[in-house]
Amino acid sequence: MRVDITSVVAGLCLLALGVVLLLDAGGTLDLRLGGFAPLACAAIGATLLASGMTRPR
Amino acid sequence: MNETTTEQLPPEPPQPKRLYRARSDRVIGGVCAGLGRYFNLDPIIFRIGAVVLAFVGGAGLLAYLAALLLIPAEDDPSAEPGGTPAGRNRWLVILGVIVLLCITWPFLLGGGLLLAGLLVPVAILVAAGVLVWWFVSGEGPAGDAGDVAKRAALGIGVLFVCGLISIGGAWAAAAGGETIVAVVVIAAAVIILAGAFVRPVRWLVLPALALALSAGTVSAAGIDLDGGVGDRDYRPASALDLRDRYELGMGQLVIDLRQTDLPSGDVPLEVDLGVGDARVVVPKDVCVATDAHVRIGEIRTFERDNHGVDVDLEDRPDAPAGVTRLLVKANIGVGSLRIGRSGPELDLDHGRFDRGPSFTDLGRNSACAS
Repeated sequence: MRVDITSVVAGLCLLALGVVLLLDAGGTLDLRLGGFAPLACAAIGATLLASGMTRPR
Repeated sequence: MNETTTEQLPPEPPQPKRLYRARSDRVIGGVCAGLGRYFNLDPIIFRIGAVVLAFVGGAGLLAYLAALLLIPAEDDPSAEPGGTPAGRNRWLVILGVIVLLCITWPFLLGGGLLLAGLLVPVAILVAAGVLVWWFVSGEGPAGDAGDVAKRAALGIGVLFVCGLISIGGAWAAAAGGETIVAVVVIAAAVIILAGAFVRPVRWLVLPALALALSAGTVSAAGIDLDGGVGDRDYRPASALDLRDRYELGMGQLVIDLRQTDLPSGDVPLEVDLGVGDARVVVPKDVCVATDAHVRIGEIRTFERDNHGVDVDLEDRPDAPAGVTRLLVKANIGVGSLRIGRSGPELDLDHGRFDRGPSFTDLGRNSACAS
């Protein structure tokens, strides 16, 4: 069985973003732009990197 | 006796050298690699040239797009010497020629900036479409011009849908539905993760990312539309009319306390604004203590000014006995907060609020103990 690395990385990044949003909505975390901007860039960058490393059809 | 004769076939004429988009050694569409092979030069020279030209009115970008449409791919059957271009959509070739003409026309006849201003965004959109579809489906910009155009169109469609989802996510988060958005994002993440081991669902990544990023940005910016949209102007006559909390989602919020009969001692005042401009106008005999936070924007209180991202301003002066001290606690998402006396910069009657030559335009917090 071949695992799609891009989906794994993107899924984990989205999971992290979703948990952060949930914590912010619950009041556990005070989400600020200074903290969210690097997180968003890291999520996009990691997904693109994983996609780039996967050989296109 | 049979006599066999061997016919000498005439040697085949040398095939003309043809330009293809290279299948191997390509970075995007194989244009530069193909040019390098054709001219027997290192493709990096053409890549550097394309990047440099992209910054010269976007010519490199347009030329690359035209080449992507016009030059056949290495594995395209119609690209074979004996092949016919029947497999390609002729109108796309014509379109490519028009694009090429548009590139050269400004340099020949002038007026290029106007045209570049129109064509470069189109080229960026098409290139973004190709790249998005490449990411979503794994199908790179190979094949004939029709395939490339089809993928670009599908990619632009995906971008459009993601744009709509972003707007929806931002609105939902601003309207208090951040929990729902978070649950949807987590559900999408679980589906994508599970799909990685069974059947990849890459098409779900971009919409989910668009939803998460838009909702996260709105939440991080502190934009909350709970208080409504519009302009609010409060001029309480007495301390009884003064609310503990003034809230507005989007718009201009003015709290004018000049005619308010305030008691001595501490008077709390909370200001909560999502997007817009909040102004608090105080009488001269009131001391103001401020604890304000603006996610993106500016805070100005009397002589103090602070602006940027995640701006905090805390100023807690003491007030002499018998003097009113207004304890302003403000939370602004995107916009500005001004606290001061009425003056040229805080002219409520005329609605002017321009930056003046000095901070004294907002007055001084002179009622506080020195």
